[in-house]
Amino acid sequence: MSVLREAFLLPAIFLTVALAGGFRADAAGVIRLAPPPLVALLLSVLLVGALVRARALAPGRLMNERRGVLDNLSGLVVLLTLFAASAQVFNTLTPEAGLLHLLFGVFFIVLLWNTIVAQPDRPHVLRSLVVILGSALAIKYVMLAALYAPEPTFAKRVLTVLLEGATLGALTYQPDNPITGYVAFFTVTLYLVGLILLPADHAEGLQRTR
Amino acid sequence: MTPRLTRAAGLVSSVAYAAFIGWLYVRQPQTIAQVTGGMTSTVGAYAIDRASFDDGLRFFRNDQFVEARAALHRADSADRDAPTQFYIAYSYYRQGWGRLYVDRLLFQSGLEAANRAAALAPGGRLVVVDANLAMKSIDELKAELERGLTRDVSDLNPLKIFRARK
Repeated sequence: MSVLREAFLLPAIFLTVALAGGFRADAAGVIRLAPPPLVALLLSVLLVGALVRARALAPGRLMNERRGVLDNLSGLVVLLTLFAASAQVFNTLTPEAGLLHLLFGVFFIVLLWNTIVAQPDRPHVLRSLVVILGSALAIKYVMLAALYAPEPTFAKRVLTVLLEGATLGALTYQPDNPITGYVAFFTVTLYLVGLILLPADHAEGLQRTR
Repeated sequence: MTPRLTRAAGLVSSVAYAAFIGWLYVRQPQTIAQVTGGMTSTVGAYAIDRASFDDGLRFFRNDQFVEARAALHRADSADRDAPTQFYIAYSYYRQGWGRLYVDRLLFQSGLEAANRAAALAPGGRLVVVDANLAMKSIDELKAELERGLTRDVSDLNPLKIFRARK
């Protein structure tokens, strides 16, 4: 991995994701930056673990005893920014409160746990993440946003009343301004680009070739 | 550029970027003007638009409070100037004040502006020298706004109609 990628590109990508992941604009257009909730930090730990397990991330190539202090510090920055970016990606994809917050959290935990246990290789884990993050993005910013739009159609209103009735009122959702969805799309895409650029474990490829 | 120098430059830029992000999350700016204003005030380079401030003051003294706030917000678009925020809070107080009742929404907005002014003033102490104001310190203004928002038995005192607007 080139020095430029490790020292500049990856931290810049992951820090931008960490910044944009908290972006929220409400219906009135008022902007705020939401810090990650505890569940997002836990999911971030699981995701980084899944990446290491699948050898999509080789921490040993970022930090080891043969590297100098400055090199190791540079590697540490990549790992820390990756952790922050992962937490903020889950933050942007998870509804902020209510039953949906819980459901999304459980959904992510189960999927990531399953990924860790399945021990996929690098291409598979990256493809799996595209599906997980893409699905969550579509559910939150396309389906839920359409369902809870400020001016719903009669059919949508009936559906939301049925859903809220079936869950005893626990299934509530406050849609954001559409700009939040665009920022979330940019955030997730940039994050996936960052994951592709991470230093992978080459030994994995060699083992599979044999 | 040597790899060592590249890494050092990368570290410095990453730390600076992370500090900027941390600052944004703490300050929670709602507009781009608040971001740029906050950054310039951090380095002591922030200045209000004096002409708009003078317009705001003139409107304020003519009891044109909505116009006054529009001009004052224009003068301090980043909400970083304590005296301007003080006048904004005062305009909410004067507009919301009534002999029989106070407009709670306006008082609440006034209290928010007063809290901003107090947070921006060094040590939270702010005194505005203006002969037209009965309350010259942020502490008096905050206390008056909080009193207006509090509901207690003294609200039933009929003598309250004789009190004067400050």
